[in-house]
Formats: sequence, structure tokens, C-alpha cells
Amino acid sequence: MITAIGDNVAGNLHHLRLQQSGLGYSNYIDTIYKNVLPVAEVKHASDALFALAGVPVKEGYTRTTLLGLAAMREALQDAGITDVQSNPTGFINASTVGGMCDTEKLYFDIINPEKTGSFLQYIDTLDCADCTQRIADTVGFSEHIATISTACSSSANALMFGARMIKLGMLPRMVCGGTEALTRFTLNGFNSLKNVDKQFCRPFDQQRTGLNLGEGAAYLVLESESFARANNSSILAELSGYCNTNEAFHPTSPSPDGDGAYEAMKMALAMSGCSLEEVSYINVHGTATLNNDVSEGKALERLFGDKVPLFSSTKPFTGHTLAAAGAIEAIYSILAIQHGIIFPNLNFSERMEELNISPVTTLMKGYPVNHVISNSFGFGGNNASLVISKYEG
Amino acid sequence: MAAISPQPTFEGDIFSAQLAHTDSNLLACIEPDYKPFIPGNSLRRMTRVLKMGLTAALKCIRESGITTPGPIVTGTGKGSLQDTEKFIKEISEYKETALNPTPFIQSTYNSVNGLIALQQKCTAYNNTFVHRGFSFENALLDSMMLLQEGATHTLTGAFEEITKEHFYIKSRIGFWKDQPTDNRELYRHLSPGSIAGEGATFFTLTGTPTPQSYAAIADFRMLYKPTGEKLSAALKAFTTPPDLIITGRNGDSNYEHFYQELDQCFPGIQQLPFKHLCGEYDTAGAFGLWLAAQIIKAQQIPVAWFPGTEQLSAPVHSLLFYNHFYGEQHIMLKLERV
Repeated sequence: MITAIGDNVAGNLHHLRLQQSGLGYSNYIDTIYKNVLPVAEVKHASDALFALAGVPVKEGYTRTTLLGLAAMREALQDAGITDVQSNPTGFINASTVGGMCDTEKLYFDIINPEKTGSFLQYIDTLDCADCTQRIADTVGFSEHIATISTACSSSANALMFGARMIKLGMLPRMVCGGTEALTRFTLNGFNSLKNVDKQFCRPFDQQRTGLNLGEGAAYLVLESESFARANNSSILAELSGYCNTNEAFHPTSPSPDGDGAYEAMKMALAMSGCSLEEVSYINVHGTATLNNDVSEGKALERLFGDKVPLFSSTKPFTGHTLAAAGAIEAIYSILAIQHGIIFPNLNFSERMEELNISPVTTLMKGYPVNHVISNSFGFGGNNASLVISKYEG
Repeated sequence: MAAISPQPTFEGDIFSAQLAHTDSNLLACIEPDYKPFIPGNSLRRMTRVLKMGLTAALKCIRESGITTPGPIVTGTGKGSLQDTEKFIKEISEYKETALNPTPFIQSTYNSVNGLIALQQKCTAYNNTFVHRGFSFENALLDSMMLLQEGATHTLTGAFEEITKEHFYIKSRIGFWKDQPTDNRELYRHLSPGSIAGEGATFFTLTGTPTPQSYAAIADFRMLYKPTGEKLSAALKAFTTPPDLIITGRNGDSNYEHFYQELDQCFPGIQQLPFKHLCGEYDTAGAFGLWLAAQIIKAQQIPVAWFPGTEQLSAPVHSLLFYNHFYGEQHIMLKLERV
């Protein structure tokens, strides 16, 4: 994985433990909000990202692709996969705006017949398949590939789709996740919706006024249990439940009572076979927008009553990384299980008046974490919850 | 099923329909009257591909006779280009201030899915695939997986638009033919590039046949960037010689060799190409499948769409559908009569 708080999983864990946020101001987006709206940017210019991505510097590789490749390299290495073709392996990627990060800088040249040059190499990088295919071609995926775009729940859905393919016996191994680079397009999009906080975001806080965007990429290697055992894979955790549901309430807002969030968590838990009491931690979607946190908080209270498990949003560390968020937070959930830690919800000071619950605000260590719910809710009412459990094989 | 396409496919009998044609290298959809499907106040805000996508989906639901909403799974290569282009320009024009968020919201690839769910009050599974020539195909795969997992039915579709601007952009990297080419003559002009198209196509898929069923999908397979030999081996392993072949042939000399592999695998079997009807686009495969299902159900060919082609000589029990998108994403699908 790669985010504003680290170029790999160890770097992320290090900064989570130090409670150091990746939020700051952009060095790379060309926007008037550069010094106004905080973002969680990966601290490398695209040129330096080529080295992390393990490809020579050349035209056509967008920041989205490079972030994805950097994360992909680590995921494969960590899983001990030196050749993805050694066993049939699928690749399910997620993206919300493809290579917009680079094409938005060139768009007016691209549509101008009088301009020509090497920028034309970027013409076909705008769509979401471009990054997927460049990543696939670089590391050698030749089996099933797909790209999913369901806004902020994209990579949670990528994980779900990969898991279902494995369950149905279609492939023994899938690499799933998402990649997202900051763009002027998205920043202005969320800002025009008045959803961006000028301060560092404050999830579940009474004074919150919006989200901060972030960028990053994360991939997880999913294997069927039988394949993993036969392959002697080191099993980090189990994806024990998931649910994709649509709220059918509003194009960009969740329902005030959190119907979609409630349903997604309830169904994912039911699949995992885990009781309400067994949930150790919830990595909430927690964008810090006015609507999300009320809706998600209400859903937590409805589902768990007065026994809401420990919960926190890690978005103050990474910003909201949109298509990558589900996969990044799935890895954080695994880290919580592996290390028995619960990450603090930074920037929280005052409980929301609509809720009786508040998030974890300090790093909790030595806490047994067996089952984690990870939430990703998006535009278009696309809601997804994952249940990640300690592997008891 | 329902299709909005450059041909008169939305209403009326396609077997007596005329062939719409142009030599502009861009086949644009014949748009229906949206008012019977979408309330006026919503209609005003929506851009073209949203209207086409939502309307085709709603018509498909009506036609299926299934009233309980189920999972909604779609594919689109480019989403709402009009909204994407508009938002990019407004950011620049208004110098990032006082922007209207609507084009941003509508440019998100899952916005059509969200609208269908909202309209149908459908809280079931909802997913959008955005992968060029594997967009609709992954939606189809996902839907078939959902049926296998126990869903009774799914709404599965694809939508794509082409704008003047995007047509120009793609012309810069050789997607279209240089010379004005009449779509009626598409296969006679083997040269680099094809002609552009667009469309919105939706299907209701069920796990078991119903009286309304058009056809049964017996099998399908996606292949990513295969060599000619790999494709040929996959085609031969995929099916015994079918009664009819529907192909995505598009007059593009750069990738014609893949269709020639197909010819060699199944010599002497009648073939019908469909790209002269809909043009080339990421999710043209959905239109091709729609046409294949129409033909297998009716056991006849829309004559005006295939001038000079003889009617089916023998009953079509099984049909092979093969398409690829610029040589990268290939799909083979076996359709059977129900």
C-alpha cells in the first residue's frame, strides 16, 4: 500500500502508531486551493514514483497507475508471489476518475488540433481501465481483469467481487484493491458540493464541516483457504463477510437514519456468522461530512444499541482516498487484528449532538481484535461493508 | 431487453425496421421520447447518457414483467462524457469558483446505477464496471454469479455515449477511419480504424427460463490481450461448431486478423456482423448480444439491416457471439434457444 502516511504497510503502521497525520497542503495539484484546502498527498513527485513503481520513466504512466504499481509491487512481494502466472491469478482494480490527474493538465491541448507532441501518449489514460491494464501488463496478470467504479465504495466492491469469484471456484487467487490520485477535478467537485473542510477533517465531531481528500493505493491478495494451505501462504486474516447494498435515497446524500449503512453492516455480519458482541472494532467510513457521520452514527446505534463497539475513522491520517479507501482501510483492519491495536480518530473533541457515541481518540495497544467491520459508503447510494476476522485455521 | 441505439431498436418491430445510415463515421443514437419514463423536473437536469441509460433500464424492467427489483449491474467504458467535459471546462472557465456540482455528480461512473436504484427504490446489490471492452462483460459475469448465488433475477446493462469532442480525441490516436465511410459499406472498407457509435442496452437475466425469455446464455469467456494462436485455441475449446456466428467485425484492418482466426476455426458457418448497426464503442458487445438474442428468439434476421444476406437457412439452436475491443478485450459467448 501507499498513502500520505507511508510508502508501504510498515510505513503506514509506523505513522498510525505515532498518530501522525498525512494531511497538509498539495505540492502537485494545480489549483487555487493549494494552500487553502488540506489534502493527504503522497509525498513524492510523479518522477520519484516511477522508482517505487519499478518502471522506467516514460510518457503514458499516470500518477494513478504509478501509485497502483507501487502498492501492487509490495502486495505481491509480501505474499511471496514472484511470478503472478505461477498460479491462475485474477486482478480486480478500482478507480473513480482514472488518469484524470494527468489528463486534466493536458486536456486543452488534447482537444486543440493545433497542438501536438508527446502528450498524445496520455490521450487514452483518462478512463478507468488504463491504470488497471498498465498495472496488469507490468506485473504480468493475464487471467481475469476488471475495474470497478462505485465512487467511495469502489475498492470494497473490488474485494467483494474477487472473494465471490474465489468462492464460486472461478480462480484460486485474486489481487483486489484500488488506486486514486488527487486531481483538481475531484477537489473542485467535492468543494462545489461544500463538502470539504478548510481545517483538518474531524470525523464524528460536532464541529466537523467536511472531508479532506487523499490519494493512495492498496491491494490485497485473496486466496481460497484450500489454495492458501496447499500453497503454504502466510494467512494474515480472513475476509469473513461482506455486503453490497444500495440505499436508493439520494444521488449524493445518505439517509438521515443510515438505512443503507445499517443494512450493509447487518448483512455482512450475518454472513460472517459473527455476533454483535464479537465485533471488536469498526473502521468507520467517517468522512467527516455533515451527512455521512450522522447517518453512519445512527446506523451504528440502531445495529448495536447501547453496546456500540470501539470505532474510529482513519481518514484524518490518509484523507478520503475514494476508490482506494476500502482497500487501504481493509489493510488497517488487518493491522488492528495482527498487532492488537486500535487507531485513534484524530481531531475529535466534541460529541455530535445527534449521537450518544463517540470514537476512540487515543491509540489503544494490547487490545485483542478478532473481528473488524470496515465501512465504505459512496455517491449513488453505493454502500459496502466488509467483515475481516482473525484467521483461526 | 431494451436497447437505445443508432437503429430504431427502442420501439416497433425490428424485423421490419429500416437501416439508419450516415457517412459521418459517427453513428448517433435515435433517442426516444423520455417523458413517459422520467419526470420532467428530473429530465431537465440529466445529461444524454443518463437519460439513455435510465430509460433503457426502465423499459427493460417493464418489458420483463418482473415487479420486484433485484440486483442492478452495469458496465460503461466512459460514463457521462458530456458531464466530464463540462466540469473540466467549467473549472477552467470559472477559475475554480462558484461551480455547479451537477456535472461532477453526473460524471461519476455509477450515477446511472444510482438513478435506477433510486427510481426503483431498489436496495439490492448494485455494481458498475468500467473496463473498456470488459465493462459490460464483467457486469454480465457478476450477474451470472449473483444468479448462481441465489438471486432470482438481475437487471444487467451497459451505456455509452460519444460526443463530438471525444470523437475528435480518439481520432488523434487512430480509432476512426480517415475517410468518410458509410456504415452500410463498413466491411468493404478494410482500413485502419472503425466508425464510432454509442448505445444503452439492458437485459433482465433470470436463473430459470420464463415465457418472456429470449435466449439462454450457455457459456461465456473473456480473454485479455490474447495472441492469435491463444484466441484460436480458446475458440475451438469453447464450442462445437454453432448454427450461426454473430461477430463484432468493424472494418478495422489493425485487428481484423482476430476475426480471421474465428473464420478459420468455424469455416462455412453463416456469420452476421453487427458494428455497421451500432458503431464501435466500449460496450458495443451489449448491443451485439441484444441482436443475437432477438435473432435466436425470432429465428429470423432483420432483413433491411443485412441487405444481400439470405435468411437463416436452418434453425438456430446455438449461436456463437464473438467480439473484441481494439484487440485488447475479447469475449466469446454461447447463446442457446430456450
